[in-house]
Parts: sequence; structure tokens; C-alpha cells
Amino acid sequence: MEKKQEHEHDHLDLRGTLFSVMVVGAIIVGMWVVVYLMYMGR
Amino acid sequence: MHLHKFEKIWLIFGIVALVVFLGVVGITAFSHDHTPSGGMDTIDPEQVSVTAPFDNPGVHQLDDDTYEAVIIAKAFAYEAQELRVPAGKEIIFKVTSTDVVHSFTIDDTKVNMMVIPGQITTRKYTFSEPGTYLILCNEYCGTGHHFMYSEIEVY
Repeated sequence: MEKKQEHEHDHLDLRGTLFSVMVVGAIIVGMWVVVYLMYMGR
Repeated sequence: MHLHKFEKIWLIFGIVALVVFLGVVGITAFSHDHTPSGGMDTIDPEQVSVTAPFDNPGVHQLDDDTYEAVIIAKAFAYEAQELRVPAGKEIIFKVTSTDVVHSFTIDDTKVNMMVIPGQITTRKYTFSEPGTYLILCNEYCGTGHHFMYSEIEVY
């Protein structure tokens, strides 16, 4: 029971983390697409 | 394992992105018949100039739609007769080195091969646009590395 409580973190506000992860993810996806299109264009 | 709702979102985002990236690369590679440059062909690097096809470097027409470009890389130049090839025809580049590791890179194309002494590196490419293309070595091969370049004319 104690162990379960230790891992409960639904109360945390992770909106900022989600936003940061999505921004970095969007940059990575965008760069990957650009590199892929450059490769296919040759 | 209990995950926060947002943790599930970014984990799914990452996994989906990875699967899509690898899927697109895999499908592209198979559909375009991409293979690593080179193969299992070997050659004695001290006998290159007397071993076919490197005893006659240059461009040779194999049939109506295929040409072969045989090139010897050595410090610090590419040895071949005049490199002139037609656009729209398949060019099979065969390159080897007599001394150290070089590369055979044609600017603004996908041709980017490592050239290793003792091995024959092969790459097929079809130029779509006529013009003069720069060939250069992008493997540091010695003090004259920056002088190692040539040109190929596509007509």
C-alpha cells in the first residue's frame, strides 16, 4: 500500500512538461521531414 | 505501473514518431532499391593499374541505357579519362583506392561512397540534369586532402 502511494503522482501539474516535450518533439519531427525531403530531392 | 495522463500522451507521441520514421525510411529504402555502396569485390591495391577494369579507367558504354565509370582514387586525385556521361542514363561508378581511404562524393547528388584500398566500391546513379558536377573527397586522406577534387560533365 505504501509502495502504491509512493508512485501516485496524478496530482502533479505536468502541463508545462507536456508543452516542452511537444515543442521539442515538433522541432525534431520538422527537422526530420526537412532532411527527408532534401534527401529525396537529390 | 501507473502513468500520469500526460506521460501516456508523450510516450505515445514518441513511440508513434519512431515507428513512422523507421517505417518511412524502410519503405523508401526498399522501394528505391537502396543498398550500401560497394560489395564483396576485392582487388590487390598494388595491382590496381593492371587489373580490369581499372587498367582502363574512364567512362565506357555498356549498352544503350547503361554506362560504366571506372575511377582510381589516389592521394590526391581521381584518375580517369575525361568524365563525361549522359543525363537520363544509368551510370555505374566503380571506384577503388591505391593507397589510403578516400571518398568519392558527387556534390548535389546521393553519390557519396567510401573508397577503401583493397575493395571495389560500386554505386549506380542516374543524373536527371545536365551540368558540371563537383567530385570531392570527404575523408581526410593526408596533407593534400583539400586539393583532391575533380569534375564530371553531364550532357
